[in-house]
This record gives sequence, structure tokens and C-alpha cells, in this order.
Amino acid sequence: MPVVRRAHTGVTPGKLKSQYPADSPERHVEYILVAAFHVDRGPIMEHQYPGAISGDENMLAELMLPDQAHMRKEDWTIFFLHKDTSEEAGRVDKKRKGKRRKGGERDENRTEFDTAEDSDEEESGPEAATEDQEVEGGEGPPLIYVLNLVNTKQDNTAKRGAVVKAMAICTRHSFLHIYKPLLLLALEEYFKSPIPETLALLYDAVNSMDLSLMPRLSSLEKHILQASDTKDLFIEKFELMIQQRMAEDSRSNSISSPESPSKLNLDLARHGTRYLTPRDTHEFESKVIYNQIPVPIKVPTSLSPETVGDFSLIKLIQAFSAPHASSAQPFMLHAHLTTSGAYTHPIIVLVNALLTQKRVIFLGHNRPSGEVAEAVLAACALVSGTILRGFTRHAFPYTDLTKIDDLLNVPGFIAGVTNPAFAHHPEWWDLLCDVPAGRMKISPRIEPAQVTDGLANFQQQNPAYAPNMNGSGPSSSGPPSLTPNNDPTNDAPFIADLLTSIASRHGESAIRSKFRQYITRFTRIAAAFEESVYGASALYVGATDADAGSHGVRGHGFVWADEHARARELGANVWRIEGWRNTRSYYAFIQDLAAAWERRPIRSIDLAHQHDRLRSLKLSHDESAAIYLALAACVRSYDEVCQLLTVTPENNAGLFYLSLGLFHPRAEVRRATVELLERIMGHEAGRHFWAQLGRFAKTAFSRVRREVGVGRMGSREGSGEGGGMDSRIVR
Amino acid sequence: MGGQVSKIMGKLFGSREMRLLMLGLDAAGKTTILYKLKLNQDVTTIPTVGFNVETVTYKNVKFNVWDVGGQDKIRPLWRHYFSGTQGLIFVIDSNDRSRIEEARQELHRIILDREMKEALLLVFANKQDIAGAMTPTEVQEKLKLNQLKDKIWYVVPSCATTGEGLFEGLGWLSNNVKTPPQKSK
Repeated sequence: MPVVRRAHTGVTPGKLKSQYPADSPERHVEYILVAAFHVDRGPIMEHQYPGAISGDENMLAELMLPDQAHMRKEDWTIFFLHKDTSEEAGRVDKKRKGKRRKGGERDENRTEFDTAEDSDEEESGPEAATEDQEVEGGEGPPLIYVLNLVNTKQDNTAKRGAVVKAMAICTRHSFLHIYKPLLLLALEEYFKSPIPETLALLYDAVNSMDLSLMPRLSSLEKHILQASDTKDLFIEKFELMIQQRMAEDSRSNSISSPESPSKLNLDLARHGTRYLTPRDTHEFESKVIYNQIPVPIKVPTSLSPETVGDFSLIKLIQAFSAPHASSAQPFMLHAHLTTSGAYTHPIIVLVNALLTQKRVIFLGHNRPSGEVAEAVLAACALVSGTILRGFTRHAFPYTDLTKIDDLLNVPGFIAGVTNPAFAHHPEWWDLLCDVPAGRMKISPRIEPAQVTDGLANFQQQNPAYAPNMNGSGPSSSGPPSLTPNNDPTNDAPFIADLLTSIASRHGESAIRSKFRQYITRFTRIAAAFEESVYGASALYVGATDADAGSHGVRGHGFVWADEHARARELGANVWRIEGWRNTRSYYAFIQDLAAAWERRPIRSIDLAHQHDRLRSLKLSHDESAAIYLALAACVRSYDEVCQLLTVTPENNAGLFYLSLGLFHPRAEVRRATVELLERIMGHEAGRHFWAQLGRFAKTAFSRVRREVGVGRMGSREGSGEGGGMDSRIVR
Repeated sequence: MGGQVSKIMGKLFGSREMRLLMLGLDAAGKTTILYKLKLNQDVTTIPTVGFNVETVTYKNVKFNVWDVGGQDKIRPLWRHYFSGTQGLIFVIDSNDRSRIEEARQELHRIILDREMKEALLLVFANKQDIAGAMTPTEVQEKLKLNQLKDKIWYVVPSCATTGEGLFEGLGWLSNNVKTPPQKSK
């Protein structure tokens, strides 16, 4: 696919595929379960549809009836099934294989993939093979996500006065929250008619949901869409899907029209009005008709692997920031966790704990279990930043004491519980996050951080900047201080910015973008650190290509203003980088980088590095000229423009630094910048970036374009300020 | 301010905290006892999914009372509540003669756990209001409490719905607690 696309510039050519083709053998929902709390026997499974999901019904029934379900009328839980945690989940997978054998070639691949995967470390082996799999998320076999609704109904006719029942939907899609309204209706229905047919009704309804008009996006396109708030980004793809469908419809219509022309024409007319482009391309709108009730559904178009369900990073951050702000409590020091001393912000402690694969528990005593589940899912997304993965796979959004033995077998987990008994067992966790209290606690039983070669090497190279044994950098080794200037990690200003952003109601997606940047930044610092102390880093692919100096620019990786800033920041990050190395997310990231490198259109220069130089360094005119000329020379095709757009997100100055090339003293640089910007504005996504550029830059653009000569421009259609939409560059 | 004052008062008058674990077969009346102690009300309870935990203050002692569901399938979970428990309240349905032997087995299993070595044992011979209930002595014999060596135990006849016997039991626990109870924070 990428090869085909590279020949064109502005538009996606060829037939566009659906993310969820109508003829796919995979169902949206694989199982529907119902469990009840039996007054004599405890949790029991009542029905499973279309068949039994697992040998161990007890485990499932227990998870479906969360602790203290008797205390509230309604509660939601989420849990995942996969074979890494327990035997019965393994049986689930075998079952799945059996079911899938009838599927196409891709399914066969996936099945083999399942067999090959014994431990999660191997999970993304053959991932890069085809683009199809890339879009699947490259995580190996997807988990089964379970969304569960439990209701307690007082009922005088029942033994002991109440009936507690739960219904769950098991799906391979991580956007399982879309099924909430349907579960509410179906569980209500089940209380009235507790028979398998009630489950079948729901199963058939959700599986007839039509998502076939949702276009499939490449990973670069997904990246751009996620980082943008523009509501009509890639709308062209949705339009193309509709055109394709209408063409198909008319074809099938003409073939079969002799049989019953009137009916088909009616169908077509109805369909014609039904095919609407989305109001916001981040979501695809569909509906499920359950029991004659149409339930509107919105499915996210661009999913990142670690985004499961609906959660709020803002809620999570606020829950743990407010108590810290009003009365900060010192943490017990741990080199991996308290990277800014005893008063490190709890959110940073949490991020550090997850990066270094600690055991993290969210406890919400007297809170609905759905609340801790949300906190767990938010924590996974937070630390992933849509960059790292391997967190949800080891997350237990809701669990209880019955699963404690399985839980303790997982090295580094993220679990949600409501039972305060967990707080009494510090040997079970490394970091306990009390959700209602908004406090975190580092376990007195936590294993101390190991001194590593990387730390020793760094100390040798930069004795002045080496961190102390508690993890804090040299400048914060004195008495604990809360002043941001004193924090070489730069985390304090990050948190401050985050809280300002939340207070100014910038919204959830802005906060997610900030974490994406934070985690990206961390990984790039880690790459620089590894190169510095180990001489090489797998966290950066293609260093030799980028340093070779093709197109007249060289260099790669993170850009620091000077050597002092570099050593200071590396020093502050030594412990957590060393703690991150050898974790699941570290290895998965290396695999992802290698796979992404294979698909990367531009490899000869590090776009992010050069863009960062433009942004943060004082460059000579020759230096900046080299960068602008190099960018203009190598960013040409559709995919190449996509790649450039991923390093210039709209919420981070967008095309501003590129547009500064319009003011360069050298005419050839100004001309090259015009050409580059023309390519961008003729690009499906680029045109939105152009639209957000300031008036000043746009005026300069028009001026420079006139200046470089109408003759050259004459050969092309005028692609001025307003013309970007229509004139798509085709070479 | 209020919190500060009560903290100081607590220090002066020796307010204490005690962690109690209340177990027993299903439908013995554990949750009813808990809420009678907490609210002094006879609440209509439904089966406990998992657990309940409440703080009950009686004679200057803060009792953290854990009430854990009793269905046989979930009894293996009881052990997770043992660590740090200073007193075990074992609740018996004095009318359920058919399951008293089952109750005895469960009780002995708990008491023999290493983590429960230091814990006091209080048995509520509950549901005394129903005619034909086993007497406290009968309960004591059926549970074979005499076999328990090095164990301080006490059987109180109780009726959860009226509250009879409940505070007597708590009083006995606070008077006999071996390990110095934690100072309240």
C-alpha cells in the first residue's frame, strides 16, 4: 500500500478499505454472559451466549459481581480476559481458534500468531508484515474486553429480600463503553425474562451494527488524527467510502434489477439518504436497533492500543492533585518513583511507577467499582501517551480478593479494587492509590531500585550531574523544596502547565496530547541517555542514516540548548530510564520503533530533530537554510507530508516554525518554503494545518509566491490562500 | 478544628482502635449485627456480596468491624482478612442445628491459622429470640471450644434485631485485648 500511495501526493488513491468490513468473519461482540449472586451459593453463572466462554465459570461470575454490589442499585465493571494471567483464559483462546478456523487467510495468520505467543514479550513479532496488521494495533491477539453491568433489586418475594444479577458483553474492540446503553436495556429485559433468548436478542442486535463505512487509516494518519481537534480532518476518506458504497450499490442494483426493480430502487433511495459523512471525523456514528429501539452509537475512528473504554485523564489528575496542592505529604523515597524528592507530584510518581513496571493498585472503598476501573484505564492511557504499550494487557480494571493469587503472579500490574483489605497487605503492591482520598502511598515493602551499569557509566561521565541514591538529582538532594526551578526533571513545570490547562478547560484531548508529548519526550531523552552511556540505543532507529548528512543536514534525536542542559536533564532521568529498561513497555516500544521504521517514508533525515532545531536553537542563516532546503527536498509525497505533520501537531505551534522559512534572507529558501507549504496545503490533512496558520505567515506566503515569479507558478493551477482545497498536487 | 480537638481528647482519655473480623456461615446475621451496632437500627439486610466494613465507637474504643460474606464458595477468602485482626467475632445461627457442625469446622480452621494466633474469640450465639434456640452452653459444646488451647474465648447469647448481647460482646473484647491496641491517629 505505501508504495502505491507514494506515487501520488495529495489524495489517497485506489480503493479505500473499511476498518470493519461488512463481510468480516469477526463479530463485534463475541459473548453475552449473565451471572447472579445466589443466596446460598454465592456468585454463579446463569447463561452464556452463544456458547460457554470458559471452563472456569466461577472466576467470571465472581468478577461480574463486584464487592459490595449489594450496597448500590447499579454498578459497572470492566475486566479483561487473556491467557497471560490464568489457565482459563488460555482455554478461552483455544476456543477462539476453533471458531476462527473458518475465517480467511488473515485469520489463519492470526491464529498462528496466537500459538506462537507464549509470553507477552514476543507479542509483536510478525506485526510489521502487512499494513493490515499494523492497523490492528500490532499487539498480538487482542484481549477480550468485558463490560459488565450489575443491578441489585429489592424484591420481597425473593429469598432474603433481593436479587443481584449482572450482564456482560465480551468484545475484541477496546471501545467497549459504546455498549453501555444497550446493557442497561438488556439487563432490565433479563430481569423480566431470565432466559437465553434475552441474551440472543442483544447478541444479534449488537452484531448487526454496521461500521463498514469507517475508513481504514494508516498509522501516520491515525497519529495525525489523534493529535488534532479538527472536526473534518480526513473527511475525504469518509466521502470516498460513501462513493465506493454507492457505486457498489448501483452495480448490484443493475445486476439484479430484473428480479425486483422496484424494491431495489427503493432500497437505493433510502440508502442514498442514509450515507452521511460524520460531523466529527474522530467518531463514526452508527446505531444498534435493540428490541425496536434505535440506540445511537459513536465509535472512535482512530484508536490507540492503550485506550480502552471511556475515561478521563482530567478526573484522574484532579483526584490526586487537589489533596497534594492543599497539603502535600512526603513520600517515602524510592529512586525510581520520587524523581523530584519526597514531594514529587503524585501523578509523576504514578507515571514513574508504571514506566518502571511496579505493582499499582487503585483503591476506591465505598465507591462504585466502575470508578476504580476508570482510574486504572486512565492510568494506562496516561503512561502510554499512545506511544508505549503493554499496560492494558497487565491491567485489572476491577478485581477482588478472589483473584489475588493470579494477580500476584503478574510482575507489574495495574489493578482496581474496592476492598480496603488490600491496603492492609503492603506486600501485594508497590504503589497504592486511594482514589476517594486522592493520596498515594509507596509500600514500605517495595524492592529498592538496583544500581545499574548505566548509572555507574553516567556517574563516571558526568560526576557533577549524577543523581544520588534516592533518585533525586544533585540540586534537589538538599532539603525538600517545592520550587520548580530546583527540579532538573522539568516535571514540576509540566504538572503546573497541565493543571493550568485543566483549569482553563482546554479539555480532555488537550491533556491527552500533553501526555503524548511528555512520554515522547521521555523516550527521546532515554534514547539520548542510552547512546551516551552505552554507546548505542535501540530506542532510536536510523541514527546512521540521519547523521550521514544527505540533503545537507545531519543529526538525530532530542535537541538540548547546550551541554549543561543536556547533562542536567539526563542526570535527572537516569534512575527512571534505568528502571524502564527491561520492562515490557520498553521492549514493546523497541519492536514498535523497528516496525515503524520499516514503514517510514523519510529515513534520511530526522524530521523531529530538524524541526526541534528550528524551534529551540539559535541557528545561523546557513544552518536554518540547510534545514528548510532539506525539508522541501524530501517532503514530497502524500505519506511524506503525513510524516512531517506528525512532528508539527496543531497544539504545538503547528506549521509556525516551517512558515518562518518565508522570512529567510535567502531567496531560494523562501522559494523552497513556498513549495513545501504548497504541498502541505494540497494535502488532505495538511490543508487544515495550513488553515490554522496565522495571518502574518499567510500574507508572507502570498508575497513570497509573487516574488519568486509568476512564471514558475503559471504551470500549476493557482494554489493560493483559498485554493488549497481544490488544487491537489498530483506529482 | 473539630478534628484537632477530638484528637487531643483522644490522647487525654486514651481513645483506642481495634480491628475486628466478623465471620460465620451465610445467613447467621453478621450484617444485621454490624448495622445494629453502627446505626442502632434493625435494618433489613440482603446477602453480602464480598464484605461490609464499618467503624463502631463504644466506650471510647473505635472498633473497625469487618463483615465478610459467608457462602461456602467465598469462605476461602476469609484468610485475606486475618492479618492485623485483634478479635474474631464468630456468629452462629442458634436455630440452625443442622449446620452447627459445619460452623465448628470453619471456626477451628480459622482459629488454627498462624495469623489469627493473637486474636480474641467472641462467639455470638445469635437469634436467641426464636423459640428452641440452642443455649450458649450448648453452642459452646457443639463448637468444642474447650479443645481450643491458648485461646481466650467467650460466648454471648445475642439477638441482632433487638441488640441484646451485642455491646456486652464488644465490652468483653476491649477489656481482654492482649496486644496493646493501636493509638488512634
